[in-house]
Amino acid sequence: MSEYFSNIKTATTTIATGLTITLRHFINAVKRKGDAGIDDADFFRQVDGLCTLQYPREVMPTPANARYRLYNNIDDCIGCNQCDRACPVECITIETIKVTADDLAICGKTSGGQQKRMWVPVFDIDVAKCMTCGICVSVCPTECLVHTPVADFSEFDVRNMVYHFGNLSKIEAQAKTKKLEEEKAAKAKAAEAAAASGQAPVPKPAPKPAPKPAGDQAGE
Amino acid sequence: MSSSPSLNTWSDALSGFTIGGFPLGLIIVAAIPLVFIALYALTYGVYGERKFSAFMQDRLGPMEVGPWGILQTLADILKLLQKEDIVPTVADKFLFVIGPLIMFVGSFLAFAVLPFGPAFIGADLNVGLFYAVGIVALEVVGILASGWGSNNKWALYGAIRSVAQIVSYEIPASIALLCGAMMAGSLSMQHFNVVQSGPYGFMHFFLFRNPIAWLPFIIYFIASLAENNRAPFDIPEAESELVAGFFTEYTGMKFAMFFLAEYGSMFMVSAVLSIVFLGGWASPLPNIGGLALNTMTSGPVWGAIWIILKGFFFIFVQMWLRWTLPRLRVDQLMYLCWKVLTPFAFIAFVLTAVWEIYM
Amino acid sequence: MQELGKAELNSTRIIRQDDNRVIIEKDLDTEYMVLSMGPQHPSTHGVLRLECITDGEVVVEAEPYLGYLHRCFEKYCEKIDYPAIVPYTDRMDYLAGMNTELAYCITVEKLLDIEIPRRVEFIRVITAELNRIASHLVAIGTYGIDLGAFTPFLFCFRDREIILNLLEWISGARMLYNYVWIGGLSYDVPADFKKRVDEFVSYFKPKVVELRELLTENEIFVKRTKGIGIMPAEVAINYGWSGPMLRGSGVKWDLRRNDPYSIYPELEFDIPVPDGKFSDVGDSLSRHLVRALEIDESLKIIEQCLDKMPEVAGFDPRAVIPKRIRPKAGEVYGRAENPRGEVGFYIVSDGKSTKPLRCKARSSCFVNLSAMKDLSKGQLIPDLVAIIGSIDIVLGEVDR
Repeated sequence: MSEYFSNIKTATTTIATGLTITLRHFINAVKRKGDAGIDDADFFRQVDGLCTLQYPREVMPTPANARYRLYNNIDDCIGCNQCDRACPVECITIETIKVTADDLAICGKTSGGQQKRMWVPVFDIDVAKCMTCGICVSVCPTECLVHTPVADFSEFDVRNMVYHFGNLSKIEAQAKTKKLEEEKAAKAKAAEAAAASGQAPVPKPAPKPAPKPAGDQAGE
Repeated sequence: MSSSPSLNTWSDALSGFTIGGFPLGLIIVAAIPLVFIALYALTYGVYGERKFSAFMQDRLGPMEVGPWGILQTLADILKLLQKEDIVPTVADKFLFVIGPLIMFVGSFLAFAVLPFGPAFIGADLNVGLFYAVGIVALEVVGILASGWGSNNKWALYGAIRSVAQIVSYEIPASIALLCGAMMAGSLSMQHFNVVQSGPYGFMHFFLFRNPIAWLPFIIYFIASLAENNRAPFDIPEAESELVAGFFTEYTGMKFAMFFLAEYGSMFMVSAVLSIVFLGGWASPLPNIGGLALNTMTSGPVWGAIWIILKGFFFIFVQMWLRWTLPRLRVDQLMYLCWKVLTPFAFIAFVLTAVWEIYM
Repeated sequence: MQELGKAELNSTRIIRQDDNRVIIEKDLDTEYMVLSMGPQHPSTHGVLRLECITDGEVVVEAEPYLGYLHRCFEKYCEKIDYPAIVPYTDRMDYLAGMNTELAYCITVEKLLDIEIPRRVEFIRVITAELNRIASHLVAIGTYGIDLGAFTPFLFCFRDREIILNLLEWISGARMLYNYVWIGGLSYDVPADFKKRVDEFVSYFKPKVVELRELLTENEIFVKRTKGIGIMPAEVAINYGWSGPMLRGSGVKWDLRRNDPYSIYPELEFDIPVPDGKFSDVGDSLSRHLVRALEIDESLKIIEQCLDKMPEVAGFDPRAVIPKRIRPKAGEVYGRAENPRGEVGFYIVSDGKSTKPLRCKARSSCFVNLSAMKDLSKGQLIPDLVAIIGSIDIVLGEVDR
């Protein structure tokens, strides 16, 4: 019998405690949490009260190092393809065209001073596939591929989620490919001529060291 | 009908009001509760519950439609109206359709005997309280019909649980109300208010006049939560156990009807509670010396304000409890009903009788 | 005829045993009802499906069906490099990414046999414990929802949000961090981090008390969970339970103490086990209680780590990360204490490839869930919900 009454007593007191807590929050509802980011020194001074942020108008700030939408600064990209290989979900598509020797100056250098040797006509990132793991960023040698803190980039059409960063248009790319092929053909012809005139060495290793001197010759 | 003729003069005058033989006054009298219910369910019921719960949970609640989201319920209703009215192919169509209707009607029939102030009462029956308790039990039929008719296992569970629950809780609720009836010496709703009104305001209320009255008051409040399927007794619709209980299969306006019925019953039990124990439309303010607060705040309009305020207060308590407590289990619910509330209700009944005889 | 009538009158005896299981004895034969609970049920925590055979509201048998969230983690690991597996481990137990990452990284580090800088270890432990708190908050909050209390859930998520903010600040992502790397970390912590975590601890302590008063000590909550789904210690060990589930059964087993890794041996903390006063040992309430008390212990660990964490000028968290991870041939099993129990990785390397030959993940939830069939026998449906909630499954980890 005493258990019966003590049960009723604990039930009443614990329910009353719970009700006090919710009432305290109800009364505290005049205050609202601010929208300062966690990197703000006053963050914990503004967490009291209603914590909803009304999303499109009030946005929780993302910190500067947040990993969201990928951005590739194509001016610095050397087309090394490392990000493509590192990506676990294969969301990066890269096509490169070797820069012919006469175009090296046009192609320019990266901000780090490295000579770019690849045109990158296609550098597509499917951000719908991207899982923001940051591995591609960590392998990028020129630090041109970065995650930006832009977290809200929804689209109505999933095809718009493919971001194009390539630095050549289709026609330009065709022209460059043609140019490269011509150069290659010229080089092959030169090699053939050299082989015909010389003692005909092994033809295999020839193409490998060949491009540079051949290119230099063409440049000269 | 006969208990308070003088108070009904206002409503008599209003119902006698005609324009060119057209009984406009009668229509207004009939429309007052309906308009009130619609306004209440739209604003205080749904919107209020969402806001109160949000504030208790450190949220903002609806904010987008209208200033502070005040038109949110209207938008919801528009959405529900546009929804396809799906009746499952394997459902018992008749029961499926009639279920929400019975619930809706059962919940709102009780409003007929609620005195909205000294002048406004639909029907001042001499068995008003009995009628109010009895007619609400109709809801059980509606719940069972919709739960069985849905032909869904979760809905069936919800319906069966609900029947067991509501029928059981009728008993402590009725006994607790009987204590009030004993104190008033009548079952007429208007009479409850008349005997509890007086120049000393709240001192005339049964809750403060009788030292035992708090016990049936609390018992009826708890039992009424269970009768309305409100938390912590919301096991018929227990969303984490039974998906949505007896209205799992409902869409559109049929679904909205369950909600309207629920909010209707919430006000109904709160009003009955305040009428039986807290004087209904009687002003709680006392006359202090020359300051005649009670006289100033009495009258047909003030009466309506008081009963609505009292009703809203208890609805607030219901919401407050709902957003604080976990849900009971079925057997614990029955334990509470039969082993705690019913014995205490009988004790309260006997004590009240003793008090009424000897005091 | 008379006998039949008599049998009908006494046909059903419903008995609730001491361990709260319900037995229905009948002289007449009735049909069972098959009730499919999930995968779209509000309280199966994702996409678990339970096929319950019910007798009225009593579950005669419940069989869990898995695989709705299967993502071929183990097969996929054989195709990608060691460091690229880390973001996939995040997605196993998505509520405790840091802990799973840590488990994977210490396994590969064991295989590579590399020394980790001390500061890295401290940062790893702080983030892992922060994530443990966040994960337990979800567990406690959703458990409240399972039992009908909605408000504690939102309080839990409000505080979890701050933890996620903290972790986003250091790692750049809110839930799927890829922060702990093999041999180091992706970034050093921001300059203010120590101060902010300290502020968080002092902010959070009163909230834990509030949560306890609102939910854990509530009589209805206690009545709903006490004595429900009792798992004796030896059966729990036989099932291979770990983490709060095993500790809830009264076994003092915590990998942070029993198979210490990182800097846990230097830290002082208790392993909470139920004493049987507030709850029956091994029931749902004990498991909930262990989680609630572990939050306090994690706060203690974080405070100690903040005190002891060495400040290194010009610290490079990527200093000892190998350029190319190609472990020598061999196999290794490494494990860590996750919020949900022991998470282990068994990795076989052939010595030639930069990809593991085999990567087997031992997930705590999967093992804990395996006892479901045994636990659910003779429970009411509300109790079944309470038991599933107390197991605290993350389907991402169960199905992988």
